[in-house]
Amino acid sequence: MLGPMQSDPHRRGVHDLGGAGGWGRIPYEPDEPPFHADWERRVFGLLGAVTSATARRPGEFRYALERLHPDDYFDNGYFGRWLAGFEVLLAEYEVVDPVDYSARLEAHTGPIPSEVRRMSPERRVAPVADRVPSMLPPDRPVPVPQRRTVRRDLAEPPRFSTGDRVVAPAPTQPGHTRLPGYVMDKPGTVAKLHPAEVLPDSTAHNRGERPQHVYCVGYDARTLWGDDAEPNATVYVDLYECYLTAAESD
Amino acid sequence: MHDEPGHGHHEHHDASSPEVRVEALEDLLVERGLADPERIDATIRRFEHDIGPMIGARLVAEAWADAGLRQRLLTDADAVVADMDIRGAEIEHIEVKANGPGVHNVVVCTLCSCYPWALLGLPPNWYKSPEYRARVVREPRAVLVEMGLELDPGTEVRIWDSSSETRFLVLPERPAGTEGWPAERLAELVTRDSMIGVAHAADPGGQ
Repeated sequence: MLGPMQSDPHRRGVHDLGGAGGWGRIPYEPDEPPFHADWERRVFGLLGAVTSATARRPGEFRYALERLHPDDYFDNGYFGRWLAGFEVLLAEYEVVDPVDYSARLEAHTGPIPSEVRRMSPERRVAPVADRVPSMLPPDRPVPVPQRRTVRRDLAEPPRFSTGDRVVAPAPTQPGHTRLPGYVMDKPGTVAKLHPAEVLPDSTAHNRGERPQHVYCVGYDARTLWGDDAEPNATVYVDLYECYLTAAESD
Repeated sequence: MHDEPGHGHHEHHDASSPEVRVEALEDLLVERGLADPERIDATIRRFEHDIGPMIGARLVAEAWADAGLRQRLLTDADAVVADMDIRGAEIEHIEVKANGPGVHNVVVCTLCSCYPWALLGLPPNWYKSPEYRARVVREPRAVLVEMGLELDPGTEVRIWDSSSETRFLVLPERPAGTEGWPAERLAELVTRDSMIGVAHAADPGGQ
């Protein structure tokens, strides 16, 4: 069942952290090494094998992480969320049978209490993906893109130019997007055009490439944070053309 | 690096621990022919030893030493990266942002942890932390002070949120007292954190 909070596309996903309150000191360690434990090395090393067998379209792997339960997203850090994402994708693509996987875990550790049984959708995947079949990324027969690059040449000229005032409204549908919540509905100024790219909002759901012009849009910190803003700061966000409309003059 | 997979020397971990889960997944994928332990080892080795901040540091040092290259790097980094035969993941399109008097740049990815792997290697944990991702767009000066970098109040802070496939590299200011240094020596001053924008380049007095 889909509660009102869960069906609201304005509801920010677990991953959409820009500007979120309540986070404390940066866990800063100068010259920090890339790995802190051997299991992190193994997770990193498996990325290519897992994504080759599952999430081959731009945005699919990120969308798997975005659908994780917050515990799985935050516990065990970055490589912990990769591992949980691997489990979700390998199950969804039916590469690894959750029963086989549980049996393998039990061989290591003895019987697994049901509350920690892994790859169970009730525990692992956010409600949107569970309850709305169209949000799952199946359609396996459609061939995956052959070209690895996400850059595309577009015949249509860009709709906006440097200096234009633009605004990105909140998406009307839930799903994968690269539009951060903290700039939704806020006016910004086009600073630059980047090379055109396929649209991850579409490819992550296997709905085609829909290539877009990509704009670097600058937001004055006061526009984003109001009176709390630090002085003399600008946040630049890269946004796909279909996110943007012309801002009303202000 | 990966000795004796699947021989049950993890009794102290429960089934939800990442140690046990990754070992079980790797064993299953290897048995199905979908993963190769030697390739996994080689990937790890490459990112622990061969691909790292020294690649970006070389770019920065060459740009410090050569004004023409600096200009090209700031206007068309993709061409410079191609000329230097730098290849690899997460550098489909690179933009280099120069720090200078009155301007300081800092890079983040608030939605995940995008980072120019082929130039800097894998990101440090703090870059991927929810604390950094949440706070640096909202209170960049406070975050930088916490990390040991105090900016002049008149300095404009530009925060680059890596939300498309463009990846950003900060060109830190060249430290004073390095006049006439060759690029190889300059490169030793270029830290990873200075290319993310949370630190200055190292002090040449410390060399």
